[in-house]
Amino acid sequence: VAKMSAPTMEERKACWGARDEFWQCMDRHGDDASKCEKLRLSFESRCPQQWVKHFDKRRDFLKYKRKLETEGYHPPEATGKS
Amino acid sequence: WLYLREERAQRRRARRRAELRALALGQGDFALLDQEGRRRSKADFRGQWGLLYFGFTHCPDICPEELGKLSRAVALLEREPGLPPVQPLFITVDPERDDVAALGRYVRDFHPRLLGLTGSPEEVRAAGSAYRVYASTGPKDEDGDYLVDHTVLIYLLGPDGLFLDYYGRSKTDVQIAQSVRRHMESYEPLLD
Repeated sequence: VAKMSAPTMEERKACWGARDEFWQCMDRHGDDASKCEKLRLSFESRCPQQWVKHFDKRRDFLKYKRKLETEGYHPPEATGKS
Repeated sequence: WLYLREERAQRRRARRRAELRALALGQGDFALLDQEGRRRSKADFRGQWGLLYFGFTHCPDICPEELGKLSRAVALLEREPGLPPVQPLFITVDPERDDVAALGRYVRDFHPRLLGLTGSPEEVRAAGSAYRVYASTGPKDEDGDYLVDHTVLIYLLGPDGLFLDYYGRSKTDVQIAQSVRRHMESYEPLLD
């Protein structure tokens, strides 16, 4: 069974770049994937499938973390303050 | 107030030393191959300081980032006159794919003295467990590709081969170099 070579540094950087472009597009369009199809395809073509899955999970986690940080816990409103 | 802070820091360091002595992580030998196919055992590194990272070459982002940081920390320490050299080390947690040739292709993107180590699954597992490293191979996809979930830490090894400190993702290259320098300045062997 032939072993597939790991991506080189150049290939890693190309993958990360494509990922970042896709994520920036998603940020601009409120995560509407239909607005970023071309960049999604570019991302999937430049990264191994395992990495695409990993980065998709990473983005979900980062979104969840941001949600906790911004919406998260609302301290009870102090009474008597204007 | 500065005096109190320094006293607290010293107590913290003494507590940490006691914990490390109790753990005495990194005992036992390992027998691995480097990226030139040379056999290396722990005895080869006795007397040297080391910064060690466990990872795998098919790693999407974390391993290249941590190895880049490790490389920069070593470079910072090299610029300081009078400090002993630090050996950068990479041990694979994916011996199935990371053979000698794969290591050779991988380590050349990092510090020129970075030594990559691999071996049989048993040898690699023994090395990992000596440092209590967690590693778990994920499910294979239809191309046979997979990720390895693993402890993400850079370990500082003292000249006796025992683990003196560790640095997580949030530590910068500068912080690591500063910590290593502090350890070098105050070094005493952990075990008598």
